Amino acid sequence: MTILRGLMRATALVAVTAALAGPALAKDVTISVWAGGTGPNDVYRVDAIDIAADILEREAAIRGEELNITVEKTTYPGWPDFKQALTLSAEAGNPPNIVVSGHEDIAPWAQSGLIVPVEDYVDLDAWPLSAIYPNLMQIASYSGSVYGIPQDAESRPFFFWRPSMLAIGYTDADLDALPQKIQDGTYTLANVLEDAKKMQDAGVVQPGYGFYPRPSNGPDYWQFYRSFGGTLEENGKLVFDKAAMTKFYQFFVDAVAAGVTKKNHIGMDDATWWADIGAGKAGIWHGGTWHYARYVNQEGMKDFFGNVQFSLIPAGDAEGKANTLTHPLVYLLTDNKDKDLIQIAADLITIASEPQINVLHAIKSAHLGISEEETTLALYSDNRWASEASQRLLPYATAMPNNANFGVYWDAMWAGLQASWTGTKTVDQAIADVETTLKSGLGDAIIIR
Amino acid sequence: MNSSRSLGLMLLTPAIVLVVLFFLVPVALTAVFSFTNMSTATGITGGAYQIGPSSLQRLGDKYGFPELAERLSQPSYVIDERGLVALDAAGVDASTITEMRTHLGEVFPTRREAERMIKGLSARPSTREVKQISEQFNRSLLDTRYESEGDLLAGLDALGVEVTPAERDAVAASSYSGWTWTTDNFRRMVSTPDTLRTLINTVFYVAIVLVLFNTGYAMFLAITTYYMPETTGGIFRSIWLLPRITPPVIYVLMWKWLAWDTGFISMFLGQFGVAPKNWMLDSSTNAWVFVILINGFVGASMGMPVFSSALRAIPKSQFYASEVDGASRWQQIRYIILPQMRWPILFVTCYQTLSLLASFDLILLSTEGGPGGATEVWSLMTYHTALNNYAGNLEYGYGTALSLVLVVIGVTLSLIYLRVFNYNALVAKPLIEQ
Amino acid sequence: MATQTQVSANFKSWPVILALAIVSLPLIVMYLYFFIDTITDSAPGSLIPNAITFRHWDFLWQARGNRPSIWPVALNTLVFATTVTIIVLLVSSTAGYVLSRLNVPGRGFFLAGVMVLHAFPSVTLIVAIFLVLQMVGLYNSLYGVILVKAALEMPLGIWLMKGFYDTVPWEIEMAGIADGASRFTVFRRLVLPQVRPALMALGLFAFLSSWSEYILPQVLAPGAKAQVLSVYLASLIADDNNFDLSLFKAVGVFYIIPVLILFLFFQKHLMNIYGGGSKG
Repeated sequence: MTILRGLMRATALVAVTAALAGPALAKDVTISVWAGGTGPNDVYRVDAIDIAADILEREAAIRGEELNITVEKTTYPGWPDFKQALTLSAEAGNPPNIVVSGHEDIAPWAQSGLIVPVEDYVDLDAWPLSAIYPNLMQIASYSGSVYGIPQDAESRPFFFWRPSMLAIGYTDADLDALPQKIQDGTYTLANVLEDAKKMQDAGVVQPGYGFYPRPSNGPDYWQFYRSFGGTLEENGKLVFDKAAMTKFYQFFVDAVAAGVTKKNHIGMDDATWWADIGAGKAGIWHGGTWHYARYVNQEGMKDFFGNVQFSLIPAGDAEGKANTLTHPLVYLLTDNKDKDLIQIAADLITIASEPQINVLHAIKSAHLGISEEETTLALYSDNRWASEASQRLLPYATAMPNNANFGVYWDAMWAGLQASWTGTKTVDQAIADVETTLKSGLGDAIIIR
Repeated sequence: MNSSRSLGLMLLTPAIVLVVLFFLVPVALTAVFSFTNMSTATGITGGAYQIGPSSLQRLGDKYGFPELAERLSQPSYVIDERGLVALDAAGVDASTITEMRTHLGEVFPTRREAERMIKGLSARPSTREVKQISEQFNRSLLDTRYESEGDLLAGLDALGVEVTPAERDAVAASSYSGWTWTTDNFRRMVSTPDTLRTLINTVFYVAIVLVLFNTGYAMFLAITTYYMPETTGGIFRSIWLLPRITPPVIYVLMWKWLAWDTGFISMFLGQFGVAPKNWMLDSSTNAWVFVILINGFVGASMGMPVFSSALRAIPKSQFYASEVDGASRWQQIRYIILPQMRWPILFVTCYQTLSLLASFDLILLSTEGGPGGATEVWSLMTYHTALNNYAGNLEYGYGTALSLVLVVIGVTLSLIYLRVFNYNALVAKPLIEQ
Repeated sequence: MATQTQVSANFKSWPVILALAIVSLPLIVMYLYFFIDTITDSAPGSLIPNAITFRHWDFLWQARGNRPSIWPVALNTLVFATTVTIIVLLVSSTAGYVLSRLNVPGRGFFLAGVMVLHAFPSVTLIVAIFLVLQMVGLYNSLYGVILVKAALEMPLGIWLMKGFYDTVPWEIEMAGIADGASRFTVFRRLVLPQVRPALMALGLFAFLSSWSEYILPQVLAPGAKAQVLSVYLASLIADDNNFDLSLFKAVGVFYIIPVLILFLFFQKHLMNIYGGGSKG
């Protein structure tokens, strides 16, 4: 959009017009797509591009053009290595054409010019993009432009192991009513600790397994900050609410003090955590909607609904509300000298967002769908988990902010949580240290109160 | 003289090129970058000028022009003469331009609304053409990426906003997306509480591994194998070389197998009714024990051959003489061996201090600095900060500032070692001066 | 020294052997099970294998999941280690000779520089090294990692080779010069053959060290095309979706076999270079 780019665009326009008029030429392009955090259940993140390429080639053939698209797919099971490889190859001028990453990466990558707004290349008013939930599109936007196309819409529930809950006096009817109670705010995080303790006292779960949270850093932990009334961003500025953060840290310190969560829980091996939950060793825990796929496919949980109840994350106290966080992955387009290539990539992710294709990912990985009409497809509506989770969680889902400074805040939050959880620091000390870190790292880009 | 000199320079060139490329330039870059705020968001290769939410915030808060920021934050698309002329220049056909002219003077608050109108043109422009047309009518600077300050200011002028020179400078400075010079990294290093903890971790780790294993245990291995029949000693020496020749990924895998909750220790203790757990990550104490053992065994592999060959260099006669005098084995070690081991010990200590300070691959592969940052050492913190973290926020500037500390320590210590070991003696004059 | 007899005939050696056997036990157990587990199956919770199987080795003939087949990766590793070795040998043998024998300006300074570099913790430069590679356009390519690895091994090589050249008698060269040969011919024809054991040892060392290298390829060439065995195995282990210890170990055995073969055959050479106090 600079003058230079404007000129290039103009030339491209002429070129396109000329190409349409002239004889059809065979065109071979290679589109590379990288996806982070992608395990065996999530392969449709990249496979959808394959399907889309096939359709796009056929569309081109009908128009009388010959278009051959080779899709190079790379998946990374984790996040740090993926983001490292992506950032460094982008710096080296050789990023993949399409990236599947968390929406919170939009801000820094847009600032550095790594990605370009999707809006520059697609028609948001046309189906299928027009059908995507508006709040998801909002989450994929930054500074007034839509930068990404939402690829899934997971959200992060609380889980209760039914047999253990029954063992401490709940009835099946109580458990069925539990999600509503949590939503209303009558069952809070304080009750979670009580029940976890009861389970351990009753001997149905081992000590330290009553409340069994995610053992590693993740967006999940912002939910607890919200449960205690914390705000993440206000008018484009990050917010560090000391009172809410203190109560959030204190909750985990209390959990350790009550013995329902282990002091050394963080950093435990992920595989063990999965296996423990799959084996029913944990009483209450939290995770993501896609954990359903993992429990059922990899951890051998036969009867999920008979064993597990799920709900929003309970409110922490009267100041907070029950909530859940959605952390959509988004299709992003990287900048490229060859604008035609970006256009093809944009066409591919548009096609990949059609309900019939996106639903494959939504159901196989147990992430949720991105549009209302996707939920009406048989594959979706016949799937109990997807339907119930969409209803129970999505209306209350919030997201992390798209803010270029958020990474620093996130790192500081996690460092403080770890320090107070493991007892390295008192909660007050940890909060003070987070404040110092944020002040020295972000200056006035964050509101501290 | 001349031929020896030119031949010498020729033969030396490849080495010099490698040294410059991968030692001198990186050291210089490390020093330079540590005074920048370079990160994922700013990019390395330089920035552009882009007005967006965070730049407008800076314009309002830091530079004190909130009204201007408010004015610039309004996106707007205006169908005007200028745009129509630009369409013509871009080669859009006349009928489309004529039809656009009927909308002259219309203002659209968002791009989407402008594009809805364009899409309705009778020429049925494709999505791509719609974008190209709408762009010509964009009368806001928001989210436009300008490659230079001049372009940005030209855009500002074209917008018709009255700005003072101070405001112009503020707009340019606040919208610059690239990195800037700063000394904040060092301030941050001193004021961030976790730096101190990492520093303590590092000193603890280096000292313990060095004393217990690289020198202490390595010496124990060298002496015990020395007192064995040759073949037995050889076998043990080979076994204790294994940690060093085994690729780190495999070596750490073996330790993980030992410590995993389905691993050897858990299974073995399971026979005695101890519940299985991940022994490596169970607590910070456990993690430290394993980090020290993992690095220590390799460290012993490093020191042992040095001490062994130094031991063999001690004349046998000294031992025979002492045995005739009825010296015990302990006395031999105390009075014959150890005094002659001063230099090898000093040597191992010096080199291994630096290796331990800098190497993080074994910790990265085993505990990754966990649980909860308990085993995070300085070099690993550098790696995590600059290249590898969960949020994907790669802070090259702060990371290089952290590694600059190691670079300074490294250069200082190696210069001191050079003195201690008096390497000048090695540089004897060549005998053929041709 | 191979014929060394026991130095202290007065003392029994079994107590030290026993003590050493006990402290060596963890290592022995680790390595033993490392091999056993790849060809056996054990009941859960048991350490004693109950069946022999080759299914852990099926990665040799079929790719696992969406991972590349192991063979191109092994080939990459071989190319990587061999090329690094060749570069290190070439650069160190010439530069070492110059520093030992030739009268070039700044010789003392350069040698001191090599000493500093040899001690210098080069991993600390990794961020800046990435930037250099990016500038010369070699990021995410095996060539870039080869150059970096060779550069990092080079100070040791130069130091070692210089030491060996120092022991070659000057008379050999003087005789060559007297016969009218040039300095270069003398170096190539007369001096190089004298230091063959050093080249051998350095080559082995450089090969083993690059075969094992993990951090450099992981950071500087993360793309699938440039993958080496260390990165391949590490990513296999890090992926918590496919936890299969026996598979990891089988890939590990595949990866370590060349190392062990070299170790068995050339142990003496390695002991020499390690005993000389290389920092490794």
